[in-house]
Amino acid sequence: MSTDSDSPVGKLLDRLLGENQEESAIKQQHAELKRTRLVRRLSQSALLAGIGILFIGSLTAVGFWSTEWIKYWPQFVDALAEYFPPKLYFGLIPFVDLAQYYQFMKNAGLVGEAGITLAIALAGTIMGAPLALLFGILGNERVTPFPLNFVFRGVMSVIRSIPSLVWALIYVPLGGITPVTATLAIGTDTIGELGRLLTDELEEIDDGPIEGIRSTGGNKPQVITFGMVSQIVRPFIAWAMFILENNVRSAVSLGIIGAGGLGVTLTVEEQTFQLTNMMATILFIVLLVISVEMISQRTRSYLRDDDDVEQMSFYQRIVGFPKRMSDSVLK
Amino acid sequence: MALSVENLTKKYGNTIALSGVSFEIPEGKFAVVLGESGAGKSTLLRILNGLTEPTSGSVYLDNEEITNSRADVGMVFQQHNLVEELSAYDNALTGTLNRTGFIRSLLNLQSRDDRELALEALKTVGLLNEAGQKVSNMSGGQQQRVGIARALVQQPALLLADEPVASLDPSSAETVMTYFRETVKKRNLTTLASLHQVNIAREFGEQFIGLKDGEVMFAGPRSELTPAVLEEIYGDIQTEELREGTESAEISESTQNGTTGIEANI
Repeated sequence: MSTDSDSPVGKLLDRLLGENQEESAIKQQHAELKRTRLVRRLSQSALLAGIGILFIGSLTAVGFWSTEWIKYWPQFVDALAEYFPPKLYFGLIPFVDLAQYYQFMKNAGLVGEAGITLAIALAGTIMGAPLALLFGILGNERVTPFPLNFVFRGVMSVIRSIPSLVWALIYVPLGGITPVTATLAIGTDTIGELGRLLTDELEEIDDGPIEGIRSTGGNKPQVITFGMVSQIVRPFIAWAMFILENNVRSAVSLGIIGAGGLGVTLTVEEQTFQLTNMMATILFIVLLVISVEMISQRTRSYLRDDDDVEQMSFYQRIVGFPKRMSDSVLK
Repeated sequence: MALSVENLTKKYGNTIALSGVSFEIPEGKFAVVLGESGAGKSTLLRILNGLTEPTSGSVYLDNEEITNSRADVGMVFQQHNLVEELSAYDNALTGTLNRTGFIRSLLNLQSRDDRELALEALKTVGLLNEAGQKVSNMSGGQQQRVGIARALVQQPALLLADEPVASLDPSSAETVMTYFRETVKKRNLTTLASLHQVNIAREFGEQFIGLKDGEVMFAGPRSELTPAVLEEIYGDIQTEELREGTESAEISESTQNGTTGIEANI
């Protein structure tokens, strides 16, 4: 880069121009900049090298270098063909045989299974949300005096530190891993997750309405309901929708360990090596999760933008669907 | 009912907000508290409403001591302090909380009389047609009128107002104050308002209490509120502005800050 002064031309220029005070200042600054740049380069290289060493070390730890899995590569390619069964449409356009997916989705009654997954998520969310609201409120310092409110916050923290998958295991004595225990697990998880979000929301509310209600001579429950809770109704619904989104994904994974719904279908097809059917199930899961996310996101953006949000006409809703779909997928 | 304040003192740590404040307001009088920001106006009103506890001293409403927020003391706040998510009507109904049980208030099961009272109060402040409108969609002036309606629904014996028009533009301020005065006259309410706009204060107040550094500098009727007295309350520089005209006071009305005063824009 800056080899000008080292090159013969540069040296010649230096000599011709002479070295007055200003130029030596420039040179000094130049040298200084060169040095900082060098230091930066060196530390960046060190960082890269560090990441590289970590990566290689981790790969060694998982046994990546044994060639075992490479040997299975052809099998994976075969499996790919099963995941995405090819078919020639109109005798010339090769594409995935969607009919096979559809056939399985219909025969296996995936809509019904998806219904169970959705039901687990919905029941769990609706079960947990009021309790989350209660714990969130009781965890607030304005409602419960200082050391006591941390009891409720603590309970929420403990609940949150245990994943819903583990909660399902904890509820196993209630008859094994069933849709019921999965619902309870998701309900419990919701208390921790949603309660925590509501605690944060409650920290940020205005004092104004609280004092306004206090000044009317309302009692404490009234001050809490009208002064505080009224301020978090919108965020509460918005966050509950967000938690529902998460819970649908949780319900799928709980299904994989046997709690019913699409997750169970997925496991069964995988264990019986029905790979086309397995992929059909995965695609159906994607469809379900995306649908719920879309509904949730639209509800939330509506709630957040207050009443100014324009209501879409039925026509707009139909015509604008593909664009909104792609927007929401790519978000 | 007559209000009597006796030897009220409030300290925040080492800061003295109020020191030995005593005065009386006869029944049905419209009294105005004047003073610079930090003179203790808000503290005084908050104590009268039971939102803040005094360090010492007491407040009596017809010989009965006020110690907590109560329904017969209505309060109008500078920042309205309404429940934004509810309609004007529902906000007015929160004035009935004290006489409605928790469950009934939660399920909106107020008595018929109370419902009519709420609508009547909204009519008094000229918002009957807007009763169903959500408060958050209303203008500042309308919100403040809802605030007054809420206080009226409490059927107060004493109405307090802490800078009720400080965050409004001049014409809304005029409207709100006009409604305010008509209302308290019609109901013969004892009223105490803090106002920093001296022109508005002079126009609407009957009795004046001047606070400076937490102490009462002046207490008397409008006729005694001379420029010399104002000078004493606000200090020299401010009074010169006041003599020149009231523009500076008008400008300061639009300042949103809770601690605005004439002095704030000099």
